[in-house]
Amino acid sequence: MAAAEPRPLAELDEPALVEACLAQQAGAFDLIVERHRRSVYMLCYRFVSNHEDASDLSQDVFLRAYRGLRNFRGHSSLATWLYRIGVNVCLNRVSAKTTLGKLTEPMEERQFIDVRAESPSERMLKDERGARVRAAIAQLPRKQRATLILRTYHEMSHQEIADVLGSSVGAVKANFFHALGNLKKLLAEEI
Amino acid sequence: MHLNAEQLVDLADGAQPESSAPHLAGCESCRAQLRELRAMMSVANDAVVPEPSPLFWDHLSSRVRDAVAVEAAPRRAWFDVSAWRRLLMPVFVVAAAGLVLALVVNSRSTIPAPGAASAIAVAEAGATVELLNDVAADDDASLTLVASLTDDADLDMVREAGLAPAGSAEHAVTHMSGAELRELRRMLKEEMTRSGG
Repeated sequence: MAAAEPRPLAELDEPALVEACLAQQAGAFDLIVERHRRSVYMLCYRFVSNHEDASDLSQDVFLRAYRGLRNFRGHSSLATWLYRIGVNVCLNRVSAKTTLGKLTEPMEERQFIDVRAESPSERMLKDERGARVRAAIAQLPRKQRATLILRTYHEMSHQEIADVLGSSVGAVKANFFHALGNLKKLLAEEI
Repeated sequence: MHLNAEQLVDLADGAQPESSAPHLAGCESCRAQLRELRAMMSVANDAVVPEPSPLFWDHLSSRVRDAVAVEAAPRRAWFDVSAWRRLLMPVFVVAAAGLVLALVVNSRSTIPAPGAASAIAVAEAGATVELLNDVAADDDASLTLVASLTDDADLDMVREAGLAPAGSAEHAVTHMSGAELRELRRMLKEEMTRSGG
């Protein structure tokens, strides 16, 4: 009896894709990167608020994921697992390298934004407001920052955030509460 | 008693309806806190991340692919048995050659003892190989080098090292019958006489 044709990678679900990676199947890890690169990059950008560091961190997150793939047990989704790695990588990096000058990038370095529906002045105002908020978030204490980012931008539940950060749901809610309070103070100081 | 952080977050999130907190209706302070929380959530929510160039995603994938390739390469080399085999093969070859030579030299060194037990028997008794210090050996630099490398080698060591697979020349030398050894001894003696040894 002929052996069954292997399924195309694109059709594999997460556990099968992880298995394919562990079996050194060509292209399997590339597909994981392709599926999660945007959310990982966005997560990193929220922490460091500049493109250059965010892309370095994203690469680091995937490299660590590759190294640790054998330890992925599938108890959580691959996305949650990658967020956990991402949060750790970002928190380690930002605690080692927090320079306010790097927290926002100059306007000319900002990336492509599809703003066809906005007027130039609206766009500029929104950009500046967004940059201020991102810079303020980047100054929050580590766990508050991680909680705010995961809750607000990645729509993770308190329980999922607790899993990622290794804390309780109560602590996550308290961190979220204090993060918003501190964000308000930081933005008020700027004005 | 005022609402705590956890309750306020649940209300701001919409995880709990306001009707679940009757205190809220009569407490302006808690209502103000809830309004502030919602306002800041909205402010944070509006801070979008600038979308990178569409070309960036492939660039990121490519960077990750390169980093993973670099990561994987040394690991493969470390665990790859064939890579180790390739690396150690010259060492094995030199060692095997040295041992073969030591065996041959050993059998030559036992020839002058008439009536002595066979070379195998001597080696099995744990005797250390005595290198032949004849003129021919001294003159041959490579032979001297190999001989010095195998100074402590004996037949037991050869067997333990497993370097004489069946069918090999080494195996043939170490597994000769008494008649074969006698014939070899005779031939060597003849050769030594002819060369003036």
